Amino acid sequence: MNGVIEWLYLSAQAAALALAVWFFADTARSRRVGIANVVGVGVLEAVLLAQLIAALVLVPGAGGEGKALFFSYLVTALLVPVAALFWGSIDRSRWGIGTVAASCLVVAALMLRVHQIWEFRIDVVA
Amino acid sequence: MSSPEAPAAARALSSGFGRLVVLVYVVFAVSAGVRAVFQVVTKFDEAPVSFSLSALAALIYLLAAVAIIRGAARTAMAAVVVELVGVVGVGALSFAVTEWFPEASVWSHFGSGYGYVPLVLPVIGLVYLLKRRSDRTAAHGGGFT
Repeated sequence: MNGVIEWLYLSAQAAALALAVWFFADTARSRRVGIANVVGVGVLEAVLLAQLIAALVLVPGAGGEGKALFFSYLVTALLVPVAALFWGSIDRSRWGIGTVAASCLVVAALMLRVHQIWEFRIDVVA
Repeated sequence: MSSPEAPAAARALSSGFGRLVVLVYVVFAVSAGVRAVFQVVTKFDEAPVSFSLSALAALIYLLAAVAIIRGAARTAMAAVVVELVGVVGVGALSFAVTEWFPEASVWSHFGSGYGYVPLVLPVIGLVYLLKRRSDRTAAHGGGFT
C-alpha cells in the first residue's frame, strides 16, 4: 500500500517535468495559453489530487513529525499550477505559457521535498 | 481574459517576462515566509540568526512581488538589490561564521538548500528591471509585443 505514494510521486514528477518541457517549447514558439495546455495542467492536477487522497488515507495513522509539513507541501503543489494558469493566461506575450512552465518546475521542486519528508520524517506502520 | 490594446511603452511591469518573475517571487515569499513563521514559533532559540534572516528574506520577496505587480519600478529595484546583497552577504557569512547558522536559512550557503535559485533570482530580476527601464527611456515607438 505504501508503494502507491511512491508510484504517484514518480508519476507527478514525470508529469510536472514533461509539462515544463512542453510549455517552455510553447514559450519559444511564442504560443498563447491554449486549451491543450489547460488539459495538460489538468492531468498533473489529477495525479497530485490522487497523491493527496492516498496520503489522506495513509498518513494520518502513521508516526513521525513530518505529517503537517507533508500535507502543506502537497496542498501548495496543487495550488501553484492553477494559480499560474490564471496569472499566466491573462498575458498576451509568450511569457503567459512561460509562467505556467515555471510553475511546473516549482511543482517538481515541491515534490522532491514531499518525497524527502515521506522517506525520512513519516513512519508508516505496515 | 484580454486587456485593452496598449502601446509597448505603457506595458505593465508585471506583463511579459515580468509575469514569470512575479510568480517565482510569490512562491518564494510564501515558502520562505511560512517556513520562517513555523521556525520562529517552534524553535527560535535554536538558530535565531538563520530564522530571522529567513523571515527578512520572505518580506523582501513579498515587497519585490508587490512592487512589480503595482508597477513601482524603483521600489522593485531597491528590493531586488537588497536581495542580491543579502544572498551574497549571508552566503559568505554562513561559510565564515558557521556557528551562527546551525540551521539553514534561505540565503545561507548562497541558497544551496533551494537549488541556488535565491542567488539566481535577484540577478534575473535586476536584469529584467534594468531592461524594462532602458526600454522605457529609450523610445516611445517600437511595437514589440
